[in-house]
Amino acid sequence: MFKRIWTVMQKEFIQTLRDQRTLRIQIMLPVIQLILFGYAITTQVNHIPTIVADQSLDAVSRAFVDALTTSGYFDVIAAATSQAEVVSAIDAGRAQVGVVIPPGFAAHVGLDDAQVLILVDGSDLFTSQSAYNAATAIAQAHASQIVVQRLQRSGQVRPDQSWLPLDTRVRILYNPDLKDLWFLIPGMIAMLLQMQTVTLTAAAVVREREVGTIEQLLVTPIRPAELLIGKIAPNMVIALVNMLTILGMGVFWFRVPFQGNFWLFFALALLYVFSGLGLGLLLSTVSQNQRQVQQLNGMIMVLGLLLSGFIFPRSAMPPVIRLVGNIFPLTYFIPIARGIVTKGIGLAYLRNEVAALAAYVVVIMLLATWTFRQRLD
Amino acid sequence: MGKRTQRLAALIRKETTQLLRDRRTLTIIMTLPLIELFLFAYAVRLTVDHLPTVVADMSMDPQSRSFVNALVNSNYFDITGYVASQADVVRAIDEGRAKAGLVIPPDFATRVERGNAEALVILDGSDSFSVSSGYSAAVAAGQDRALGLATEKARRLGIDLKITPIVASVQLLYNPSLNDLIFIMPGLVAMLLQILTVLTTAQAVVKEYELGTIEGLLATPARPLELVVGKLAPNMLLMLVNLGFTTLVGVFWFGVPFQGDPWLFAWLSVLFVASGLALGLLVSSIARTQREAQQVSAMISLVSMLLTGFIYPRGPMPAAIRLVGNLIPLTYFIRIARGIITKGIGLSFMWTDAVALVIYGVVILGFAAMMTKKRLG
Repeated sequence: MFKRIWTVMQKEFIQTLRDQRTLRIQIMLPVIQLILFGYAITTQVNHIPTIVADQSLDAVSRAFVDALTTSGYFDVIAAATSQAEVVSAIDAGRAQVGVVIPPGFAAHVGLDDAQVLILVDGSDLFTSQSAYNAATAIAQAHASQIVVQRLQRSGQVRPDQSWLPLDTRVRILYNPDLKDLWFLIPGMIAMLLQMQTVTLTAAAVVREREVGTIEQLLVTPIRPAELLIGKIAPNMVIALVNMLTILGMGVFWFRVPFQGNFWLFFALALLYVFSGLGLGLLLSTVSQNQRQVQQLNGMIMVLGLLLSGFIFPRSAMPPVIRLVGNIFPLTYFIPIARGIVTKGIGLAYLRNEVAALAAYVVVIMLLATWTFRQRLD
Repeated sequence: MGKRTQRLAALIRKETTQLLRDRRTLTIIMTLPLIELFLFAYAVRLTVDHLPTVVADMSMDPQSRSFVNALVNSNYFDITGYVASQADVVRAIDEGRAKAGLVIPPDFATRVERGNAEALVILDGSDSFSVSSGYSAAVAAGQDRALGLATEKARRLGIDLKITPIVASVQLLYNPSLNDLIFIMPGLVAMLLQILTVLTTAQAVVKEYELGTIEGLLATPARPLELVVGKLAPNMLLMLVNLGFTTLVGVFWFGVPFQGDPWLFAWLSVLFVASGLALGLLVSSIARTQREAQQVSAMISLVSMLLTGFIYPRGPMPAAIRLVGNLIPLTYFIRIARGIITKGIGLSFMWTDAVALVIYGVVILGFAAMMTKKRLG
């Protein structure tokens, strides 16, 4: 049996190594992707281009605009005279935030009924989120500061006395500076591993079928299961090389800390690779040609990206959608990858996740071999 | 001239027959954008509320309880359990049982009275969206509560304290209720269509190379240009129908408002699909096998998702990365789609992008023609 597997494996390795160009793409792709992710993704946006229509132009209005700009979130790129002009600048895309301060601002502040209008371009997701949160917080802080100054001037509060009786601090575990790449690296490893294993496996099997060589392989004494194991071996090696590349680049180039135990991670990644291989096999049995494999695979990729928790949190999804997410191996590996890489927790805390992944591997492998056999008969 | 039209008609008929015969592929092409639109609509929540939260309330007095209530009332935090200490809170987050934690030290009420109370909110930093929603919610709720306590105290001291000298209303233009789908829909439709267009075009042509049928086609009296036009026309029509249909579903089923001129959108879509075809043609002239075509397309899809502004803002990207994004037609069309669908602006606001799209299409088509000639020559 092992001899037969070994023979198939040799054939596959020779085939893989012969197609140098494809191999190069497979090895390089994750590197390029990581570089893109590393430099392209920013979810906390600052220096947002801002246009200001200050119709008061007094000291108090200027102080308010200063409070916005010194935060680093808003860069004033132009001054306007009216609200219409501000909206037009946002329409044209020249600015993404507009501040409108009505006339007589200082007087209104004195009367406690001053109003400011902050317009945020709502067509861009992260920018509007950052701008919205920042503008609200800064405006609130600025208003409290005015109150405090007033109290201090009236002598009711000593300057050194803290005015607010309660101080709420927020501490962010694992990623205190909210670096986007720290969020992404574990998920990316999981995603790339799934992508590589599923695509390569499905494509290899379907190509064999398209060319017709699968019949020849089957008349040899090799059993289907042995054939499969032999076929997927080179893909597994490539997938693991990819994983190490991303991890190495992430840790040494992008300085993403690896908090947990590397060997635990490696062992679980190996288990995870099997789940991708199983899914790839399943895919190959339901597709007739490479084109279909590729399309189905494209769909799995996008769905995986959306539903696995890689980018969008699963806890916020409706239960049915969460159930659909359970189809993808990615969903099981992301909590493990985040747990080990980002949180630095061990097997004791990850029991349930690991058990789920193992169950998935068993189910998908059984399903894949079963349909594969059906299809051949 | 008559001969040429005849030849072209014959070619288009051949391609249409081929396209319609592969029912499964056709079904996938037509349903994929819809499925993804539905998933996005129901699965993606970008503002995360109801974060599972554990509380370590070491005071258990009325003040601490009302602070916990203030957090719960913000709707961002759901209390899932009470623990004894800060270490237990961190542990619950480590285990993944909670995404947030609240720690209230002993003697909270007394400290509030003295004016130096502290509370600590701990957030799971391994999940990007939960953190950013949780952060602003916690800060806002904390500050709110503090201001409320301050006014109460001031009133007892006989000071009439107005805490809002400035009211800043922050308004989101185009998307006042922060509907996630309004952010996503225009870009999503455009992105899916581009991915499909590039891929199907590249694969259709490369398949012809792989099977060797291109030689047969070249031996016919049809000129290369006619071949290309004949090949692309049915595909282009299919993609336009697809784009129109998906947009209609977005507008009528999901109620994403279409603010601008539908005809302008239709004309610019033709431009966009044409540039996608040109890019597909370019891919086909580089890729030798369908597999390679698929890999190059996958790379383009990834770049499209990351660098065109579909999800992540282009503003904060380094200049070199932004330049890479300029190589993708989606970058120009996303601004156009958002401009017309979401903002409702006209051509005068975005003629630069329309012109860029035209130039892009011509340049890429010329490039593709050159490469194809070289390959066939």
